[in-house]
Amino acid sequence: MITPRRSLWPPLAVLALLGLTALLVSVTLGSAALSLGDVWAVARGEGSPLARTLILDLRIPRSLSAFAVGGLLAVAGALMQVLLRNPLADPYVLGLSGGASVGALAAMLAGLGGAVITGSAFAGAFLSTLLVFGLAHGTGSWTPSRLLLTGVVVAAGWGAVITLMLAISPAERLPGMLYWLMGDLSYSRSPWPPLTLLLVICLLLMPLGRSLNVMARGPLQAAALGVNVRPLEWTIYVVASVLTATAVTTAGSIGFVGLVVPHMLRLVLGNDQRLILPACALTGGTLLVLADTLARTMIAPEQLPVGVITALLGVPTFLYLLYRSR
Amino acid sequence: MPAVRPSSVSTLASSGRFGGALGPAAFTGALLTLALSGPVAGEAHADALCAIDDREREVCLEAPARRIAALSPGATELVYAAGAGEKVVAVVAFSDYPPEAKDVPSVGSHTRMDLETLVTLTPDLVIGWMTGNPPEQLETIEALGMPVFYIEPRDFEGVSGAIERLALLADTREEGERVAAEFLDGMASLAERYADAEPISVFYQVWDEPLMTINDEHLIGKVLTLCGGVNVFGELSRLVPRIDDESVLAADPEAILAGGMGEENRGWLTHWQQYPSMTAVERDNLYFVPPSLIQRPTPRLLEGSRLFCEQLERARAKR
Repeated sequence: MITPRRSLWPPLAVLALLGLTALLVSVTLGSAALSLGDVWAVARGEGSPLARTLILDLRIPRSLSAFAVGGLLAVAGALMQVLLRNPLADPYVLGLSGGASVGALAAMLAGLGGAVITGSAFAGAFLSTLLVFGLAHGTGSWTPSRLLLTGVVVAAGWGAVITLMLAISPAERLPGMLYWLMGDLSYSRSPWPPLTLLLVICLLLMPLGRSLNVMARGPLQAAALGVNVRPLEWTIYVVASVLTATAVTTAGSIGFVGLVVPHMLRLVLGNDQRLILPACALTGGTLLVLADTLARTMIAPEQLPVGVITALLGVPTFLYLLYRSR
Repeated sequence: MPAVRPSSVSTLASSGRFGGALGPAAFTGALLTLALSGPVAGEAHADALCAIDDREREVCLEAPARRIAALSPGATELVYAAGAGEKVVAVVAFSDYPPEAKDVPSVGSHTRMDLETLVTLTPDLVIGWMTGNPPEQLETIEALGMPVFYIEPRDFEGVSGAIERLALLADTREEGERVAAEFLDGMASLAERYADAEPISVFYQVWDEPLMTINDEHLIGKVLTLCGGVNVFGELSRLVPRIDDESVLAADPEAILAGGMGEENRGWLTHWQQYPSMTAVERDNLYFVPPSLIQRPTPRLLEGSRLFCEQLERARAKR
């Protein structure tokens, strides 16, 4: 089942190439018409000040943010699916995005903006993580199903709090809050923190790939095969939480990427975590970059929430792969 | 740096919001005082093109603004009112007044602007809406080197002050000060005329589903008070409270004023006719007010206020 290491690189190279192409496309396309020549001029350090602003200050940071967020969500989803051994698991299933959303909405309700919203969302996600893990741990031993159930219930609780906050919020703040909940990259700031995190996590996970492969078959087999299960589970959970929290704080809660990208890749590439995790980073990033490009150009100057596009692109692709794989 | 004085008129924490564009007399008391003191000339500035915005920040321009982006329908109206209409190069969706604003390029919805289009239009002054535009996007716009002037008029002086400050930045002070004074004078004469009017209980409907009204702090609530109306939900703590039919029935207002989806849609009012026992229904005191006249903090508010006052006067006549 576990393929030899040398075959890992060709698919990753193809995916990396696709990712680069997507980034190029997203930098070239926008509501302001810029020709390839303009883009090339800016790349050489020339070009008009306007083109430089458009490309260097607006498009590149936003595209890189999209790539990082997509990658983070897909990797977090893949990890969650390994941890919970449940194909329906996604980064949001354990209430992470709910906690982050409550944090962010509370900051918006208080009339705070910018960095405070980011910090507050991160605090919310962190609180949710502690809550779920602490409660699932409880007095007895915890099992994936217990963790999952705790997470789902906590997520439902956050959902109620979110609805309550929307109901009592002043009318003029509602659109901003709703857009945040739908996921929107126009709120993202510097792309470097999420991008750095994505790279670091991918490098850190590489040596763990073999253990993760064993884990995916169940904790008993893993223990029998000499994997120290408990610390590994902790590591996966904490890593997935940090990834999700960073993604949510960068761009709000963008659904679908974390659930579908890992499955899509498993259908095509097989279930080798050493390959799947970096492939998730590349494919998730590519998907979100393309989706965001569509979101900001389709009906420009009106801007669509990127979450809509990820679902519209992802659902048919996923259904097709699923149908074909029977 | 212009002098900053507390406004005794506003019930909100709005001290110093109007910056140096208004003279001291404007801050000394009630609306009536304002009217008596007449149009007030701006204080002399050493640095002629600085104004304090509604976030209490001083925005300075090296030269008068020539390309203005107005990021809310209300801001667009205010810039036109300030006499700087021909300098507007970018607006947002629903900027439908004055009609020529419809021909100005749009940068999308006010809740998420297309920054690329905005940058391409190279504005040298951006009028942001404090609570309506996403703060992240306004910060990005500033970081890209375009000065942002935040506005959020919350009372009548806020409207006139915004016009004067915009006129200052666009170097159309004469026109701006004239329009601002006309507006304040008009509001003051309405206030004077209805100062001794008999109180009449009113319910103002902002939206139908969910049913929403306004409290006394809201600009529309202030218009109601000015016309001698007593807002039945004026004491609620939220600016735009969500309520239900039952609470309206319990309050039993003498008149119901409502906006509507469009400019000529009385649909919301027919809803109340299912309760014939209500005083407002019994006396046929259901009045439609075009929402664009009353829901935007712009000089057209004067027209809306006149309509409000006339409708309340008609309701009084039916007692």
